[in-house]
Amino acid sequence: MSFTLKYKSINEKREIPNENYTIKDLLDELELSAQTVVSKQNGELVIEDTVINDNDEIHLVQIIYGG
Amino acid sequence: MQCSKCGNPKVIYKRQQSGQLLCKECFIDSIEKKVIKTVKKEKLLDKGDKVLVALSGGKDSVTTLEILNTFRERNIIDICALTVDEGIANYRQDGVDIAIRHAERLGIQHKVVSLKEDYGISLDEIMQRDNHKGSCTYCGVFRRTIINKAAREMHATKIATGHNLDDEVQAIMMNYLEGNINNLGKLGAKTESDAEEFTVKIKPLREIPEREIGLYVVAKDLEVHFDSCPYAMQSFRGEISEVINQLTQKHPTIKYSTLRGYDKIKPVMKKEFKTDYAHGRCERCGEPSSNRLCKACSFLEELGV
Repeated sequence: MSFTLKYKSINEKREIPNENYTIKDLLDELELSAQTVVSKQNGELVIEDTVINDNDEIHLVQIIYGG
Repeated sequence: MQCSKCGNPKVIYKRQQSGQLLCKECFIDSIEKKVIKTVKKEKLLDKGDKVLVALSGGKDSVTTLEILNTFRERNIIDICALTVDEGIANYRQDGVDIAIRHAERLGIQHKVVSLKEDYGISLDEIMQRDNHKGSCTYCGVFRRTIINKAAREMHATKIATGHNLDDEVQAIMMNYLEGNINNLGKLGAKTESDAEEFTVKIKPLREIPEREIGLYVVAKDLEVHFDSCPYAMQSFRGEISEVINQLTQKHPTIKYSTLRGYDKIKPVMKKEFKTDYAHGRCERCGEPSSNRLCKACSFLEELGV
């Protein structure tokens, strides 16, 4: 079970570590705040509580940089 | 899980402060309605206004332009735009290009003014000086002066900036913590000066959290410059922003309550700390100034430009 992560220059396959693994769990792993990114699952905007499924493409867009 | 407004199961946003869930269409609609409500409540626009949008190409200014353009489409106002090129290598040009494309897309009058061309020095060059006062100090002063001059040249009756809820709350806290009561009294949705050379400034996005503006531009597929100013981390604003965002995690309404509290005490502050406006003129550039030189020209003299 894996998904593709796209974030800035990252474009990689990652394993889904457990059942009900959410985008929020992924953000915590990447040490990213949900306040600074928006998430797309297979091209559609979703909230961070969304569960990541096998073969999903998860695209994280950083929207807040400061300054 | 479904949209609290229309029942659509495709939810894209959960408002922390209210628990409201929104689908893409209802989210976009809620932002546009809220901005229009601010415009009406604060009387930011008058019929026939020519509004100069300070357009950096970032999410806030592009959103300001996009929503104010709905008033232009209804022939209530006219719009022009100004982009200031501060001269920051590997950062500013992308924003300038995006701003040009938005102005072309909407068919509005647009001007790009560069710090280097106008003052003979870029922000990068200033930051190489040993005696500089910090990037944001210069950037803020020069930008304000350039925008004011352009507003007069373009015959604008209002200047619209993209200040959002986070910006406004940061400014309230920064000025309060620094004891800068003069600047504290100048915040708000609409700022007018007695000096007729200064065009009225309006902040239509003042009640929209920064994150919601970011989501709005992504949801609407608007082209914006998402990048970090290389000088941003040097600022006091950055530190304040971090503290407020930490507090917001446990207290989701704290930005709104700070803003509401400020709006209540502002009339008292304005009355108690009323300052005389600048009757004099800057010896060097002729802009209104209470001192021999305006702030921008005093910086230029210090820098030997």
